[in-house]
Amino acid sequence: MSLYDFLEANSIYIVMLIVLIIWVGIFGYMWRLDSKVKKLEKKHTS
Amino acid sequence: MNSFVKIFIFLIISAVIVCGIVLPIPHIPALGDKARVLYFHVPMSWISVLAFFMSMYYSIKFLKTREIDYDIKSFSSAQLGFLFCVLATLTGSLWAKFNWGSFWNWDPRQTSIFILLLIYGAYFALRSAIDSEEQRARLSAVYSIIAAVTVPFFVFIMPRIVESLHPDPIINTSGKINMDTTMFIIFLTSLLGFTLLFLWCLNLKVRIERVSLKHLRSVVD
Repeated sequence: MSLYDFLEANSIYIVMLIVLIIWVGIFGYMWRLDSKVKKLEKKHTS
Repeated sequence: MNSFVKIFIFLIISAVIVCGIVLPIPHIPALGDKARVLYFHVPMSWISVLAFFMSMYYSIKFLKTREIDYDIKSFSSAQLGFLFCVLATLTGSLWAKFNWGSFWNWDPRQTSIFILLLIYGAYFALRSAIDSEEQRARLSAVYSIIAAVTVPFFVFIMPRIVESLHPDPIINTSGKINMDTTMFIIFLTSLLGFTLLFLWCLNLKVRIERVSLKHLRSVVD
C-alpha cells in the first residue's frame, strides 16, 4: 500500500498534516520574530 | 525565552495535534468525534482567563509602583487575552453550528463571552482615546482591574446559574469529571502547551512594546 493509498483511505491523516503544516508555519514565524526582536534589543542597548 | 522551551512548545503542540486528531476517543452521546474540539477550544478559553487576570495583576503593580513597564505588561496581557477570547468564540461557534444547528443562538456561554469581548473592547477604546502616556496607563490600569473582576462571573458563574446547552467543561461518557484517561492526558498536555505558547507570545509582545517605546522616546528626544 503506497502512502497515497493510505492517505486516501484514512482522510483524517490529511487533516492532521494540514494542521501540522499551519503550526510549523506559525512556529517558524514566531521563532524568526523572536530573533529579530533580539537584534533590535541589542541595537537599542548598544 | 530559552530555545529549549521553544522547541518543547513546538513538540508538545505537535503531539497534541497528532494525538488529538488521530487517537480514537470513546463514544460520547450527542458529541461523537466533535468532542475533540475540547483539546483546542478549552485551552483558548483558559488562556483568555489567565491573560485577563495577569493584566489585572500587572495593573495593580503599575498603580503601586507607577513603572511604565507594568503598563506594557498589563496591556500586552489584555491584548493577547482578547485574541484568545476571540479564538475561543470562533472555535465554539463553529462547533455549535454542527452540534446545536446554528453558529450563534445566544446560549448563556455565548452571551457571557460576547459581553466579555465588549468589556475588553472598551478597554482598548479607552487606551486609544488618551494621548498622555501616564494618564493612559493610570486609567486603563483601573479599568483593567474592574474588568478582570467581572471575568469569574461571566466565565464561571453566569453559565452555571442559567440553563445552558454547553457541555460540562470536562466531558466524558457519563457526564462526570472522570474523563477517559487518554483524552485527559491529551487535554492536560494541550493546556500546558498552549499556556507556554501564550507565555512566549506575551514575552515577545512585551519586548516589542518596550523596543518601540524606546525608539519613540529616542525620536522625541
